[in-house]
Amino acid sequence: MSLLSLIVITPLIGALLILAIPGTRIKLIQGVALVFSALCLVLSGQLYRVFDTTTAAMQLVQRVSWIPAFNIYYYVGVDGLSVALVILTALLTVLAIIYSFNITLRVKEFFFWFLLLEVGMLGVFVSLDFFLFYVFWELTLVPMYFLIGVWGGPKKEYAAIKFFLYTLFGSLLMLLGILALYFNSTPHTFDMVELINQARLLPLTMQIWIFLALYVGFAIKIPAFPFHTWLPLAHVEAPTGVSVILAGVLLKMGTYGIMRVSFPALPLATRWFMPFLIVIAVINIVYGAFCAMAQKDLKKMVAYSSVNHMGYCLLGMTAMSAIGFNGAVLQMITHGLITGSLFFLVGVIYDRAHTRDIDAFGGLAARFPIYAGLMIIQVMASLGLPGLAGFVGEFLCFLGAFNSWPYYVGIATIGILVTAAFFLRMIEKVFLGPFNEKWAGLKDMDLRELIAIVPLAVLTIVIGIWPRFCLDLIDPTITYLVGIIK
Amino acid sequence: MTNLILLNPEIILAAAGLFILLAGAFIEEARAKLLFHLGTISALAVLGMIIAHAAFSAYGAGTMWILDPGAQLFKFIILTATVFTLLLSVNYAAIQPRHIGTYTALLLWASCGMMLLSGAMDLIYLLIALELISISCFILTGFEQKNPRSAEGAIKYFLMGGLSTAVTIYGISLFYGATGTTSLFSGASAVGLHLNDPAYLMGMLFLLVGFGFKISMVPFHFWAPDAYEGAPTPVTAYLSVASKLAALGAMMRIFASVIPHQALNITLLIAGLAALTMTLGNLTALFQTNIKRLLAYSSIAQAGYMLIGLVVADPIGRESVFFYALAYLVTNMGAFAVAMIVAGRTGSYELEAYDGLARRSLGLSIVMVMFLLSLAGIPPLVGFIAKFYVFASAVNSHQFLWLAVLGVVNSVVSVYYYMNIARRMFFLESRDTSPVETDIYTACVIGITSAATLFMGLLPETFMRLVKDCVSFHL
Repeated sequence: MSLLSLIVITPLIGALLILAIPGTRIKLIQGVALVFSALCLVLSGQLYRVFDTTTAAMQLVQRVSWIPAFNIYYYVGVDGLSVALVILTALLTVLAIIYSFNITLRVKEFFFWFLLLEVGMLGVFVSLDFFLFYVFWELTLVPMYFLIGVWGGPKKEYAAIKFFLYTLFGSLLMLLGILALYFNSTPHTFDMVELINQARLLPLTMQIWIFLALYVGFAIKIPAFPFHTWLPLAHVEAPTGVSVILAGVLLKMGTYGIMRVSFPALPLATRWFMPFLIVIAVINIVYGAFCAMAQKDLKKMVAYSSVNHMGYCLLGMTAMSAIGFNGAVLQMITHGLITGSLFFLVGVIYDRAHTRDIDAFGGLAARFPIYAGLMIIQVMASLGLPGLAGFVGEFLCFLGAFNSWPYYVGIATIGILVTAAFFLRMIEKVFLGPFNEKWAGLKDMDLRELIAIVPLAVLTIVIGIWPRFCLDLIDPTITYLVGIIK
Repeated sequence: MTNLILLNPEIILAAAGLFILLAGAFIEEARAKLLFHLGTISALAVLGMIIAHAAFSAYGAGTMWILDPGAQLFKFIILTATVFTLLLSVNYAAIQPRHIGTYTALLLWASCGMMLLSGAMDLIYLLIALELISISCFILTGFEQKNPRSAEGAIKYFLMGGLSTAVTIYGISLFYGATGTTSLFSGASAVGLHLNDPAYLMGMLFLLVGFGFKISMVPFHFWAPDAYEGAPTPVTAYLSVASKLAALGAMMRIFASVIPHQALNITLLIAGLAALTMTLGNLTALFQTNIKRLLAYSSIAQAGYMLIGLVVADPIGRESVFFYALAYLVTNMGAFAVAMIVAGRTGSYELEAYDGLARRSLGLSIVMVMFLLSLAGIPPLVGFIAKFYVFASAVNSHQFLWLAVLGVVNSVVSVYYYMNIARRMFFLESRDTSPVETDIYTACVIGITSAATLFMGLLPETFMRLVKDCVSFHL
């Protein structure tokens, strides 16, 4: 069995094992969840070690015939586009599982769904067969539905079903797009690598329709304007660990899909759609930022900042150059790290104060130095302070896009300003000023929370100082990708 | 040559029914349940015969009936559904012990009629098969004597069924008038000769309407929810699976291969009806509060998806319908089995009965979620592969891409009501927290169907080969 299959199957074994343990053995269930997700992380560390950064080809490929009647293969492999996302997924899952040890309600089901979710996410990033990709894509849906719906906040049920319906609608349209690609290839195939070679020769009208079908599926996941309305709701209602995964990994599946399939397989349509994509990117950036500014709820603010940050990612993608694409992929990674830890941090304060109202706090910095320190690092990273991870990605995205779309990029910079404004205002209101004595009894972060958040903060700083640590993985594939799109 | 020997399975099944009916008159009430087992064994034996001759093709009595892999597939489906139904009936309280013999016999005869229907090549033969099914099913629907709903459902079913038979007979007479034969397969009935004959076309349309009643195609579906709600739950499962699929199988034979609907120029009509069926079924299901009615409307919608394959009618389209039939068999049977268990414990078919079921019986809830997700078409379950197959045929045809798009929209709508049940089971609390036990027979059905739902979804290749063979060896 190849390393990638091992990585995907490890959480699945864990999930099935958890199902077999009686629900009352909470410690054991937590232990199994931790061990299997940690094992998955270790394996993905091995993946990082063996990954060859000098080639753009698919690596660690495994290909087994699955449904010959439709020429479907179990076909997995990674390249620069996906390898970092696989590692990010494994890392965030372990941390989110550690953080979620504070869950007391129906522990068994929680970790079962959580590990199943990890299987789906990892599967999406390693699949090279479009059918397999779709199966994994949908596999993330059901666990997420239950994770939000059972363990979420007051409006959890509505948030869960809205998430489910939105995503399902998109993914079913995507399925039609996949089928169209399949029937337009000879011999009929779902092999992504093969489809990329064949579909690019299709006539423009056909490409546009297929692009549109795929785009709706991906855009809902990103979420790109105007399909973003499920996101703030799902984020706010979801429990902390799930929000982290949602923001850190699930959103990336959308941008990943576009870069993996839509762009290289449908270059004519991509060029045709570019003027629309740049507009959508700018709306995401500016509109997302203004929405975040208007929020009083800390978590909702971070959620809208995700809309804004995924806009940067789209902006980098519209550059159609190696710089922009590198920026977009790096932005996916850094956004996962930064926003992931921001959601953790919001969870930390909510667990203590049971409120997320920005105006309810004040002067926390003096009493909770560790918490304040971590929060300030991540906020600064998120608003793009040089020296931290967020800056590198954003800078590359803007730099890349500036060449092709100078005016749009000019408008998009408003977004950066607003982002800085609302984050700094939040810092001021929550951490500075007079201390609200109501919170005098609260304690600073405990060990469990530190274990969950500190690794992310460290990575944020490391990537900020030495981005090649990440970019070296990505760059060869991106160079190749840009080559075939042009 | 009359080839009566080809009807051996049907003959054996009918004889077994007769024997059980007689035995039911003499058996002690305390031991009457034995008759269920007798019925199960005879159905299993006949099932064995069918499987042994799975790849057999032949004509009987001057093509009154035929045997081909397609017909054998539907006989397999019908008999499997019969076995499941009998197993579900064993501990179903509302069937009185002194009536078990009648009940089992009727069920076997209905199955016998369905088996005849799936090989029918002559309209008279087809009519006899349809009547055998209908009359048995009318009685089975009204079998809960103390329940007025059951009587109401049976009457509605009877009236609508009678109407549909009348329409079918009228269609047959027009067909006969135009062609001078009742055989679907003779030179005299060849499509090209009669295309400009309005009587011929009317005859075929009336036949279509007759089948429309049987598969509960909109606008001929009004009987279904009432009959489904009133009938004893195992019978409901049987009606929604066996009766519907048998009629669909015959429809596939007549309208997709013997007298193709494209040649009759009624393709767009059927496409429109398919679109209506899935849309109306799904939209109405949204507002149901009773699980049996909900599943009834959902099965109307499912028929709509299957009709897409009939509309496309190329090899992929026909394969997709056959595959969908298999998927629908295991998934819907499983869903009804769970519904029966839950109602047996809580005494109610209302959706409230599902509140907090996950706390009471996690296994049952997870299995139910599997069935519901499969009906909704979420991977990796078999319902997804089936929908994938159907949509693939529509996308491949280009012309009917719009049906696939409509199917997609409908699937999204359907998720809302399917997941509403999941929501009740997992998100809500119930006052009663006692566990829900499953008796051994029902557990057996649920076990087999849930395993099939999962494994046919993960490894569909065997079954895809099977349906491909069925389509390529179609007589």
